Amino acid sequence: MATTLRPVDVAVIGLGATGGVAVLPLARAGLKIAGIEAGTWMDPHRDFHADEIFNNVRRQVTTSPKAQREIPTVRTGPEEKARPPAAHPMMNAIGGTSIHYWAQSWRLKAWDFKTRSETLQRYGPAAIPAGTTLEDWPLTYDELAPFYDIIEDEVGVSGAAGNIGGKLTGRGNPFESPRAKEYPMPPLRGSGFTDHMAETARKLSWKPFAPPAAINSQPRKGRSSCVYHGYCGLGGCHVSAKGSTAVTTIPEAQKTKNLTIFDNAHVTRIDTDGSGRVTGVRYLRNREEFFQPAKVVLLAGYTYENSRLLLLSKSKLYPRGLSNNHGQVGRHYFGHWNSFVTALFQHDINTWYGLPAQGTTCDEWADDNFDHSGMGFIGGSSLHVMTERHPIDASAMNTFGRAPSWGSAWKKFIHDNAGRQSNTYIQTNTFPYETMYLDLDDEITDPLGDPVCRINTGGMRENERRATQNANSKMEQWFQAAGAIEVIKTPPFVPGVSTHAYGGTRMGDNADTNVVNRWGFSHEAPNLGVLGASVMGTSGARNPTLTAQALAWRTADYLVKNWKSVSS
Amino acid sequence: MSDRHDLTRRDLLITAAFVPLAALAAAAQTEPLALTSEQMKTLEAFIDRLIPTDELGPGAVEARAQIYIDRVLAGPNANEKAQFLEGLAAVNAFAQRTQGAPLADLPAEKRDLILKAIDEDTAQGLPQGREFFNRARRLTLEGMFGDPYYGGNGAFAGWDLIRYPGPRPAVDAEMQHMDVAPAPFHHSAWGTRYK
Repeated sequence: MATTLRPVDVAVIGLGATGGVAVLPLARAGLKIAGIEAGTWMDPHRDFHADEIFNNVRRQVTTSPKAQREIPTVRTGPEEKARPPAAHPMMNAIGGTSIHYWAQSWRLKAWDFKTRSETLQRYGPAAIPAGTTLEDWPLTYDELAPFYDIIEDEVGVSGAAGNIGGKLTGRGNPFESPRAKEYPMPPLRGSGFTDHMAETARKLSWKPFAPPAAINSQPRKGRSSCVYHGYCGLGGCHVSAKGSTAVTTIPEAQKTKNLTIFDNAHVTRIDTDGSGRVTGVRYLRNREEFFQPAKVVLLAGYTYENSRLLLLSKSKLYPRGLSNNHGQVGRHYFGHWNSFVTALFQHDINTWYGLPAQGTTCDEWADDNFDHSGMGFIGGSSLHVMTERHPIDASAMNTFGRAPSWGSAWKKFIHDNAGRQSNTYIQTNTFPYETMYLDLDDEITDPLGDPVCRINTGGMRENERRATQNANSKMEQWFQAAGAIEVIKTPPFVPGVSTHAYGGTRMGDNADTNVVNRWGFSHEAPNLGVLGASVMGTSGARNPTLTAQALAWRTADYLVKNWKSVSS
Repeated sequence: MSDRHDLTRRDLLITAAFVPLAALAAAAQTEPLALTSEQMKTLEAFIDRLIPTDELGPGAVEARAQIYIDRVLAGPNANEKAQFLEGLAAVNAFAQRTQGAPLADLPAEKRDLILKAIDEDTAQGLPQGREFFNRARRLTLEGMFGDPYYGGNGAFAGWDLIRYPGPRPAVDAEMQHMDVAPAPFHHSAWGTRYK
């Protein structure tokens, strides 16, 4: 039998990027919180190292037991058997994936919130991608902007404002939607190569800028500035310059003494009562079962886990899964499209050191920043070049047909060229479709016997394919203008298990097509909130974390201001 | 994970610097962990051609990539050990069949012919050749270019070969200029005893 714990006001499932920020406004408001996390604390001295084998080959920072035991399976659709990839790209820990992420901290644009209506208005109904379930968000950029301001301050974002109050600053991203103020810190410095790419972009009459990152460009709030040593991606920051929630909002919430953290706790179900309200959270710790009663539950797992836990939490009133009486849990899922363009230069570009967030971005070909008339797609992609190159990865580089893959000729090739290759990061506006959804696998389970999440990709998307191809050719143009002697464009591919996974518990006013309302609370179980990119209905052409965090803070803020009506 | 406490072969040599020659020889002949001594010789004969010692400096064997491979097959990669050794044995049998001797007894040019046949998918009767080649190559790269802490990249030969300047604790703006090669920083992320 489960041990029933002392009731709390709010149980938060998952203390990662979003649960980790939501606890702070709740704790400051005096609510008693149980933070229930499948992982535990990581130790910068024990766990974070400038070591490619540790971080990137063995993935020792990201290899956390729970996530790796429930890797989602992937298939195109019901006609196919779903298979799991080798590993889950996400992790469980206090701080979650905000520990090892690249920390690129973008705001979405006003257009991302109103893509459907903006497209209809500018291009007409024929421009809406076939089969999409795209809706306008139930809130506008302006409504979310104050929460972006809060998160940028709390986790510490460096960057240059491009648009303050509608006035272009001449720095930063000129295509961004208006900000109220400058970033808390100046942007990370550029490297010789990223500066060269910026100069090249200006010659093309593009407007390059240093993108925002949740990484200290200067010492702030007791945390060091970035040391640019080249081991940021998939590694934790040993000087805590990266604004993971483990070193920012979670310790702040702990100071109030209103947050109790239950670590190594594997949540198995969310319980409900006879009126359809949630009553608390059931979890296993060391094989012992506990029940944590709570007046409100905030579900803050990763996108796959959010849908999965709801689908697993069946009851008399929710026979198809919690909050799924409208059949919307798992729907409107999409993995972010991205693509890769690789260039070889004739001279050393010295990108060994640095970090993926140290770079130059161009936004000319993203969102609706250019006229799409006659192009056959909406949206587009942000183009980003960056630093941080690891030796094993560099040695495994493409030889561009200029050398064999072994022997002395290959050795000469990598001797000359390992330090002359640039990779990119290209993110494409991605939309939800009818045939793309999450459900439970009918064969593969975790060790407890619970089915894992299954991704149904629906296959290739003509809209995103065209957008990606357009971006790849613009990237090629940029590289060639910068002096690249070889450029390889990876053909567009359908995303599988993704670190940028959206939807499944989409936010919207219409309960027939959305799981949560405009504040992030269930249309069906009123004291259940959902946090994370699983509530987002569009991706933007940018990394999701800052937006997911702003939404999480907004949901928590709504809960504080409406405590009586939500909790009883 | 045994990495943290294992002595590298070089450590043994350093430790042994003031002991009699017989003891030194005994230390150097320490048995491999996952492979037999025979398998180790075959592996060395193979990876020596993947990354040969030449005018650009040490190859994979001189950089101890085989020590890295032996260790990971005994530890974190134990689940692929059987398949890897099966592939190695098949390549050795292919050598015997086509060149008349085990791989380790063949001169470099003949071993090159074997690697070439596998790489070009013309090795008859060696269905697992391509998979073994890819895996052996990948592990050799990890051993040659990974942190010396894991047993390979001896004397930082891998990092010097590709001109990777080393994992510095902090990097200033000058070290990121395009036209300046930072001076090599020959340090393991795990301390000065690993090199």
